[in-house]
Amino acid sequence: MKDAKNHLTKVKRGKGEVVYSVFNYIFFTLLSIVMVYPFWHVIMMSLSSVEATARGGIFLWPQGFNFDTYAQVFKDPSLWTGYLTTVLVTISGTFLGTLFTATTAYPLSKKNLPFGKTMLLLVLFTMLFSGGMIPGYLLIKGLGLIDNRWALVLPGLVSAYNVIIMKSFFMTIPESLEESAKIDGATEVTIFWKIVLPLSKATIATIALFTAVGYWNDYFSSVLYINTKSKWALQAVLRYMLTNTNQAMQAAGVTVASATNVTAATIKSASVVIATVPILCVYPFVQKYFVKGVMIGGVKG
Amino acid sequence: MAANKGTKKVDFKIRCQTTWRDMVKYRWLYFLLIPGILFFAIFKYVPMFGLRIAFMDYNQYNPSASQWVGFEQFVKLFSKASFLPVLRNTVVISLLKLIIGFPIPIILALMMNEMRSLKFKKVSQTLLYLPHFISWVILAGIIMTLLDPDNGLITQLIYSLTGERVMVLTSTKWFVPMLIVTDIYKGMGWGTILYFTAISGIDPQLYEAASIDGAGKWKQMLNITLPSIVPTIVVCFIMNCGNILNAGFDQIFMLYTSHVYEVADIIDTYVYRMGLINSDYSFSTAAGMFKSVVAFILIVIVNNVAKKTGNEGLY
Repeated sequence: MKDAKNHLTKVKRGKGEVVYSVFNYIFFTLLSIVMVYPFWHVIMMSLSSVEATARGGIFLWPQGFNFDTYAQVFKDPSLWTGYLTTVLVTISGTFLGTLFTATTAYPLSKKNLPFGKTMLLLVLFTMLFSGGMIPGYLLIKGLGLIDNRWALVLPGLVSAYNVIIMKSFFMTIPESLEESAKIDGATEVTIFWKIVLPLSKATIATIALFTAVGYWNDYFSSVLYINTKSKWALQAVLRYMLTNTNQAMQAAGVTVASATNVTAATIKSASVVIATVPILCVYPFVQKYFVKGVMIGGVKG
Repeated sequence: MAANKGTKKVDFKIRCQTTWRDMVKYRWLYFLLIPGILFFAIFKYVPMFGLRIAFMDYNQYNPSASQWVGFEQFVKLFSKASFLPVLRNTVVISLLKLIIGFPIPIILALMMNEMRSLKFKKVSQTLLYLPHFISWVILAGIIMTLLDPDNGLITQLIYSLTGERVMVLTSTKWFVPMLIVTDIYKGMGWGTILYFTAISGIDPQLYEAASIDGAGKWKQMLNITLPSIVPTIVVCFIMNCGNILNAGFDQIFMLYTSHVYEVADIIDTYVYRMGLINSDYSFSTAAGMFKSVVAFILIVIVNNVAKKTGNEGLY
C-alpha cells in the first residue's frame, strides 16, 4: 500500500515535470525567436523593394529582392571613413589596452609589493566614482586631442574591472614557476613576458575581446571629441545617418530624380546592417570567451 | 614613556628601511606599473580633480581667470525649474528598470537550469546574450525601424490589436515603457550569466540528498538553488542601486527627441545639452557631480546594509 502510494506520487511528479519541460522548451524557443527576429527583419528589409518596405509587415524573406540600397549607401564616403577609423581605433586600443591592463594587473597581484594595496584601492575607486562628462571633455581639450583620433583610443584603454579580472587570474599562477626563473637571474619583466603572459592566453583573449567590443561600439567619444566628420567612428556615422536621414541621403547622392528604389527606411536599415554584420559574423565563435571572462570576474579579487 | 616613544621611532625607521628594500627588490614591478599609473592618474584622477570647476564660474576662453563661487552652481541647479523634472525622470526610469528588469535574469537562469538538452541550452544562451554586444546606436536603428509610424512592424501590430496608431517614439505616454522593454531586451540574457556561475558552484550532493528525501524539482529549486544564489543576487542588487542615477544615457540619447524631453530627459542627457551644446561648463559639471556623489553614497550605504544583514558585500 505504502509502495503504491509512493509510486503514484512519483508518476505524478514525473508528469508535472514533463509538462514543465515541454513548456520550458517552447518558452525558450519563442524567446530566442524574439531575440533574433529584429535583426533578421532589418536585414530582410534592407534587401527589399521600396513598395514592400512601405507596406511593412513581417519580413521572413526579402520582398522584391534587390541590392539598390546598398549600392547607394556605399557611395557615401562617410561609411568608409567610419569603418577605417573604427578599425584603426579598435586595433590600437585593443592592443595597448590589453597590454596595459596586464602590466597593471601583474604587479598588483603580488601580495607583498609595497603600496600595492593602496594602488589597488585607487584603481577600484575609479569604479565607484568618476569625474564625468565635462571634466573628461576639458581634459581632452587640455591635452590638445580634440579632433585627433587618439582621443577615441586613450580614454578607454584600461578599465578597473578588467584589471581585477586579470589580477585574479595572475594570482592563480603558482609562485614556484616564477621562483625558479628568478633563481636563474631573470627580472620580473622577463618573467612577466616569458612565463606569465604565455600562461594567460585565454584570459588575455577575453580581456582583448571585451576591450575590442567597447571600442567597436563606441560612438560617444566621436560625438564629444571629433569635429571633422571624416574622422568619426562607424557608430557615430551610423548615428548621424539614423538621426539625420535627409542629409545622409544627400551625402549618398540620393536625389528625388535618382531615387528610384531607395527610401529613408531602406537607407536606415542598410546602414544598420552594414554596421552589424561584422559583429554577427564573429560573435558565435567568440561568445564563449566572454562568458569565461565574467566567470573569472565573478570570483572577487 | 620616553623609552616607549624611542622604540616606536626605531620601529618606524626599521619599517621604512624594509619597505625601501622591498621597493628596490621589486623595482621591475614598479617599472611595469608605469603605464597603468599614468593612465589612471591622467584619465581617471585628473577629471576627478577637474570637478573643482563645479565650484567655479568657469571661463572657457581663459580658464585661469575663472572665479571661485562656492556652492552657487548647486544652488542654481536646484532652484532651476528645469532640473527637478530631470531628476524625477532619472529616478523614475531607473527604478522602473530595476523593479521590472532585475528579477527577470534570475527567473530565466532558474528556468534554463532545468533544461536537460545541453545543445538547446547553449544555442538559446548564445541568442539571448547577443543584444548585449550590440551598441545602442544599432539597436536604436532597429527600434526606429520597428516603431516607424507608417510601416513599423510593432506599430502595425498595435494597430491591428487596438485600432490605434501609436507613435511610441514621440509619445510621452509610451516612450518610457519602450525604454524599459528595450532595456530588458538588451540586458536580460547577459544578466543570467552571473547566476549561472553561482548555480554551477552548488554542490550536486545537495540535490542528491534532497531527491532521496523526496523533494521534487520545484522544491529543490526553491530550497537549494534559490538560497545558493542569494549572495549573487545581493551583489547584483548593490551594483544596480549604485546605478540608480544612471538611467541609461546611450539608450535615451539615441532615441529621445524634444517631443519626449518632458518624460525622458535624464541627468546625463541634461549635462550633455547644458555642457556641450550650451557650453555652460560649471553648471553642467555641478549637475554631473551631484550624480556621481549620490551614486557613491548610495553604493556605500547599500553595501553596508548588505554586510550588516549577513550577506557578502561588494568590497
